[in-house]
Amino acid sequence: MFAYVVRRILATIPVMAIVALFVFSLLYIAPGDPAAVIAGDQATPQDVERIRASLGLDRPFLVRFGEWVFRILQGDLGVSIFTNLPVTTMIQQRLEPTFSLMILTLCLAVTIAVPMGVVAAWKQGTLIDRAVMGFAVMGFSVPVFVVGYLLAYVFALELDWLPVQGYTAFSNGLWPWLENLILPAIALGGVYIALIARITRATMLEVLQQDYIRTARAKGAGQRSILFLHALKNAAVPIVTVIGIGVALLIGGAVVTESVFAIPGLGRLTVDAILRRDYPVIQGVILLFSFIYVIVNLAIDLMYTLFDPRIRY
Amino acid sequence: MHRRSLLQGAALALAASRLAAPYLALAQGNARTLRFVPQGNLATLDPVWSTTTIARNHGLLVYDTLFGLGRDFQAKPQMAQAHEVSADGLTHTITLRPELYFHDGEQVRARDCIASIVRWSKRDVLGQRLAALLQEMRAPADDRLEIVLKQPWPGLPWALGKPSANICAIMPERIAATDPFTQITDPVGSGPFRFRRAEWVPGSLAAYERHVHYVPRDEPADFLAGGKAVNFDRIEWRVMPDPATAAAALQANEVDWWETPLADLLPVLRRSDEIAVEVVNTAGALGMLRFNHLHPPFDNPAIRRAVLPVIDQRAFMQAALGEDQALWTVPAGVFTPGTPLANEAGLEVLTGPRDPEAAKRALAAAGYRNQKVVILAPSDFPTLNALTEVAADALRRIGMNVDLQAMDWGTLVQRRAKKEPPEQGGWNAFCTTWEGLDVAVPGSHQPLRGNGPEGWIGWATSPKREALREAWFAAPDQAAEKRIAEEMQMLVWEEAPFIPLGLLRPPQAYRSSLTDLVTGGPPLFWGVKRG
Repeated sequence: MFAYVVRRILATIPVMAIVALFVFSLLYIAPGDPAAVIAGDQATPQDVERIRASLGLDRPFLVRFGEWVFRILQGDLGVSIFTNLPVTTMIQQRLEPTFSLMILTLCLAVTIAVPMGVVAAWKQGTLIDRAVMGFAVMGFSVPVFVVGYLLAYVFALELDWLPVQGYTAFSNGLWPWLENLILPAIALGGVYIALIARITRATMLEVLQQDYIRTARAKGAGQRSILFLHALKNAAVPIVTVIGIGVALLIGGAVVTESVFAIPGLGRLTVDAILRRDYPVIQGVILLFSFIYVIVNLAIDLMYTLFDPRIRY
Repeated sequence: MHRRSLLQGAALALAASRLAAPYLALAQGNARTLRFVPQGNLATLDPVWSTTTIARNHGLLVYDTLFGLGRDFQAKPQMAQAHEVSADGLTHTITLRPELYFHDGEQVRARDCIASIVRWSKRDVLGQRLAALLQEMRAPADDRLEIVLKQPWPGLPWALGKPSANICAIMPERIAATDPFTQITDPVGSGPFRFRRAEWVPGSLAAYERHVHYVPRDEPADFLAGGKAVNFDRIEWRVMPDPATAAAALQANEVDWWETPLADLLPVLRRSDEIAVEVVNTAGALGMLRFNHLHPPFDNPAIRRAVLPVIDQRAFMQAALGEDQALWTVPAGVFTPGTPLANEAGLEVLTGPRDPEAAKRALAAAGYRNQKVVILAPSDFPTLNALTEVAADALRRIGMNVDLQAMDWGTLVQRRAKKEPPEQGGWNAFCTTWEGLDVAVPGSHQPLRGNGPEGWIGWATSPKREALREAWFAAPDQAAEKRIAEEMQMLVWEEAPFIPLGLLRPPQAYRSSLTDLVTGGPPLFWGVKRG
């Protein structure tokens, strides 16, 4: 097991290297010029050239890539072309809001979606099952920003229960933190709940047909015990897999959610950087997201052993 | 643990955390804090290095200027206590007010001003003019500087006080020594507000606190001149990329002032008694269709001129800002309507009946051979995109072979800098807006210039317009300036380096509790108070 974990962690290195090369190359060939954005409307072509030179953007691809990789190996993601702040500082400023949003969404989604899926499977073909599946279809179909606007309109503007926008750090208190995240988490969680609920239902339906479930029933086990102790544990592997895959969904959804609720997170940082062509920031954030994704997948793989003792690494 | 006790515990924890969080009350209810939603993200802190409007707006908070423009667009002493010009017009002596301090507590000295002017003069178009005319700058005393010119330039105070980018921001000598093509890192100025760098989260929050040592002039506020009396201890710029969110935040009293409300949302905001929707930036922005003079078909002045009869400024303004005529001004000539040099010379080319058929005939006579016309459209800038769509439609209606290419602004600014032919990644035309204060006078009116490949995007060449610009710099009085402006406008109808599309004056929205906003141009944070 330990050897497996070490192997997997070492395997992230080539993955990250490929991501780094890919991201750098993509940005190099993408249209757009930060020097022209900085120079503004009044600038002459000479001004733009001087700014480009001062930013080092006029140097060859390999030189720039080599320097960037060298700095990354030293833990330095570079300095933002526009703000002049270290990329690591900018990422640190944004980590807490995004992680808070993702964790709260994840908790909310799993808490709601798994029981929903279990109940839908248990009550297959009934009105409850159809309602759950109807909700799932809606969750997939309605865009995050529409849900966000509706929630803000009802709960912030009309009822005045929650703030429209913003983020308050956890260090300022649990309620202020939570207050700002409830609506974004619900908005972002919609798709995720739908995804997990559908997979849970499908997997549970399959498991509930198994012989050992019939045996448990024959032994007189209660319905709750059958569903949550016997069936759900055996259905857990695909559900956990989907939760892991869904992290990518969350990262993508966070971009929109953070914009709608004006949360200063990594998603907005990425979009702002892309629109301005702030290359060091784009590269840093994408590397971070890739790293998170690799680590989440590793964690999911390790969690399989908890739910299914037959799995050994 | 029982469910009930768990819920009770959770409720207590939430209540306790609320009690332990005075921050919330501070953030949402502090009457001494003004919460402002700017037009975009403050990404750079150097108003000399960057020409973005938002960096300029930040600069006006943090930095002071030697002169400031009044509502009448005339330069008046600001940091300067006195300004004397020698009889030959060559030496400007500026005496500083005695109570000027930087945010780090140091007194502002003449050599700080000189270093700041030198840095500015390498980036700004009027600064470059000063550099060309400059004989010498010296500081005979800490509170006095002398600018000696090779030839008289009455417009020097205007240049030093103009609010359009790049502003001549006065900073400490040690900071002003930074290469003008490198961004400064220490935002120390002597303006009425001090930037809270430690709180800065680019893309989300920029905070300013009152500069406690700032002494405003003992005069009423007069746009960028007069007394900059501050009535708030703290200003927060809260960046909100989503217009619907900003509108909702304003309605919910989570912010006080929104600089750029979307035209579509104005009816909603206007329905609220607690929100005022007013034009604050009365100078507005002049829309224009800019041609590329390097490549066919718009390298031919007759073809550029042929477009004039199909330009309906009203249609452009309606597309950009809707039907409310309080939000735009037509007809608009070459100079910002409402400013001293705006005039009506030859304006009938845009005000007479629109005649696409005449335009078609003129186009054919000019030798247009159905060449492709590549127009760049910034899809992420709703106002510019609307102007571009109308322009493309107008050109199509007179039979031009339009290729409208949509892209984001970041791509557009790179693309438009390309001098290659359109088929090799270049372009033929695009629409943009210029701040009204920029295009109010020939000196800073870049689209008006005719300095060819050295000039602004589009690279128009016109020795006549350059000569008139030079004449404007030497004009002895406003009557002479006005005559030159009229000549320049007539020349624009003849050479058509660009076509004005109307003056946009988008409104701003703010809580009705705010009073005494200083109108005229960019959002200013002195004078304004909470009623």
